Amino acid sequence: MANQIIEAHQEQTSTISRVNVPPAQTWNYLRINDLSFEVPTPHFVGDVYARLPRMFEGVECGIGDEAATWIVRASGDARFVEVKAGEQREQPIYVDIDASATEVRDTGVLVRTGASATIVTCAHGCEGDTSASLLRVVAERDARVTIIELVACGSGQQHLDAIGIDAAEGARIDMRQYALGGSRVALGLACSLAGTGARFALDSRYLASGRDVLDVNHVVRQRGRVTRSDIVTTGILADAARKTMRETIDLVHGAKGAEGSEIETVLVTGDEVVNKTLPVILCDEEDVAGNHGASIGAISPEQLGFLSSRGLSDDVAERLFARALFDDALIHADVAEARQAVLARATEVLGIDVARDIAEVLDIDFEEASC
Amino acid sequence: MSDQLLSVSGLSAGTEDKPILHDINLTVGAGETHVLMGPNGAGKSTLGHVIMGDPIYQVTSGSIVFGGQDLTDKSPDKRSLAGIFLSYQAPVEVPGVPLYSFLRTICQMRPELKTTARKFRQRVGEIADQLDINQNFLTRELNVGFSGGEKKKIEMLQLLLLRPKLAILDETDSGLDVDALSIVSRGIEAYRKECDGALLMITHNTRILERLTVDRTHVMVHGSLVADGPASLIDDIDAHGFARFENALEQKEQA
Ligand SMILES: Nc1ncnc2c1ncn2[C@@H]1O[C@H](COP(=O)(O)OP(=O)(O)OP(=O)(O)O)[C@@H](O)[C@H]1O
Ligand SMILES: [Mg+2]
Repeated sequence: MANQIIEAHQEQTSTISRVNVPPAQTWNYLRINDLSFEVPTPHFVGDVYARLPRMFEGVECGIGDEAATWIVRASGDARFVEVKAGEQREQPIYVDIDASATEVRDTGVLVRTGASATIVTCAHGCEGDTSASLLRVVAERDARVTIIELVACGSGQQHLDAIGIDAAEGARIDMRQYALGGSRVALGLACSLAGTGARFALDSRYLASGRDVLDVNHVVRQRGRVTRSDIVTTGILADAARKTMRETIDLVHGAKGAEGSEIETVLVTGDEVVNKTLPVILCDEEDVAGNHGASIGAISPEQLGFLSSRGLSDDVAERLFARALFDDALIHADVAEARQAVLARATEVLGIDVARDIAEVLDIDFEEASC
Repeated sequence: MSDQLLSVSGLSAGTEDKPILHDINLTVGAGETHVLMGPNGAGKSTLGHVIMGDPIYQVTSGSIVFGGQDLTDKSPDKRSLAGIFLSYQAPVEVPGVPLYSFLRTICQMRPELKTTARKFRQRVGEIADQLDINQNFLTRELNVGFSGGEKKKIEMLQLLLLRPKLAILDETDSGLDVDALSIVSRGIEAYRKECDGALLMITHNTRILERLTVDRTHVMVHGSLVADGPASLIDDIDAHGFARFENALEQKEQA
């Protein structure tokens, strides 16, 4: 009896592998196709949990099936939000992931025809070992969805964050992704532009420092005609951070007139940084346009020259880029809790004076908090 | 010459493989307004950038002295902090940096402008109103997706915020609609009055000069300053173009 109690309290772990596997696996020799995570094994005690409607089951989310399945199980519970046809929802749908409490969230949002909604997810905290979030979004015809994804975990955190989107005819998805911290973070994202004229715009920003590992997988499937996707990624890598970014735009057969573009700019400030980027455009349709460019290294000399002409040395310019990342996250994440989480992370990375200044300039309350 | 704010002496400069400026001599006194004219490709923007210290150009001879300090070998950030401002003909887009973050950082670098966040916000708000800039620009990324005219207004905003001793305005008027032009003209006038700043205006149009009292006009052709004169020289150029300067330079070169 006593034995059993001890066992129940012992954290069992299992390994999820094939996290963030890109659609085209041509880089095995670089060993950057996927990574694996040690995670706590979910306990099964026979409860029946709330499940999302079936429609979410087919939504690809970029992080890999094993990881997604684990998140669904470990969350124990699911949250479903429906935005009614034509509704212009003002209040953001907020998903809070308290990493200190090792929270795991499974969320499904259905945005009906012609409706609009904003979804904000924010993972934050300092301790704890693994936290995770899976958000699946189904956007019906002409829906407009804004998604702000924030990962503001502390330096000791492991986190998995996955987002899957299905966009029907004329739907428009505007997304901003901020990877601001965490020692081992996987971001998976897949967006299926299924309907004619569906659009996806992604601004992805990241900052990794120390010995952080950041692993990102962006997948856009353009199935519908005249669909558009634009992925713009900017990031800062400091110290001995390791980042892998896979970006795939898949122009599927039949997607006539589809256009996709992806571009990444990285500022590397650390000598031991490992920076890998894999931009891919898969194309099985002739009448399409896909562009990709990956400019890796410093910011352009023109940009540095311009900043210099306004009094900023290269060092100060680099600090500006780091600050700007937090400013930008705060500007776009209009949820009080999320903002405090971003400020707490800013305090850890930039120091309390800069964090306070950021809050004051943007006229946001500042509650002193840090890891 | 020590009472001059800016003294450019015997300055030659260019890119690594192409000389552009030849033996430039130019002085600007504190609070003076100078105009630099010349045909396309003459080297006007290059001169502005060389005075600012843009590293894409190399100075092969001569010197740039500002406020008694030799800046010839100084980096642009030092020159900026010393009080020189160059408004770009084509302002650069800087993705990932909200205008607010940028403005705050450039102000906090200067002891004379360091202030609380609240006063900073207030000051930026006032200038934005003065220039008819919508406040929501402040949270947008620096120059990214701004129209040509909007970029120019944002340059003006920085000019008024930084209060430099010398402002080199490189075609700040080009691409502005009539209303924007009059707003920007008033901004330049305000800079002159409030900061008693000196101006070096590079322009092809005289409208932007209407509200200003011009002290000196300079003409640049093929990388050389070939003439200077009073404000009336501007009207002369307006009426007759640059032909006579170009011809004179050719004859001089042949001789
Ligand atoms: N970075 C550069 N690399 C190569 N050539 C350059 C560079 N900058 C300027 N030039 C050349 O130097 C000459 C002067 O250019 P500049 O831009 O200074 O002319 P400008 O007088 O400002 O002309 P505009 O009235 O058209 O603005 C031109 O022939 C230009 O092509
Ligand atoms: Mg020019």
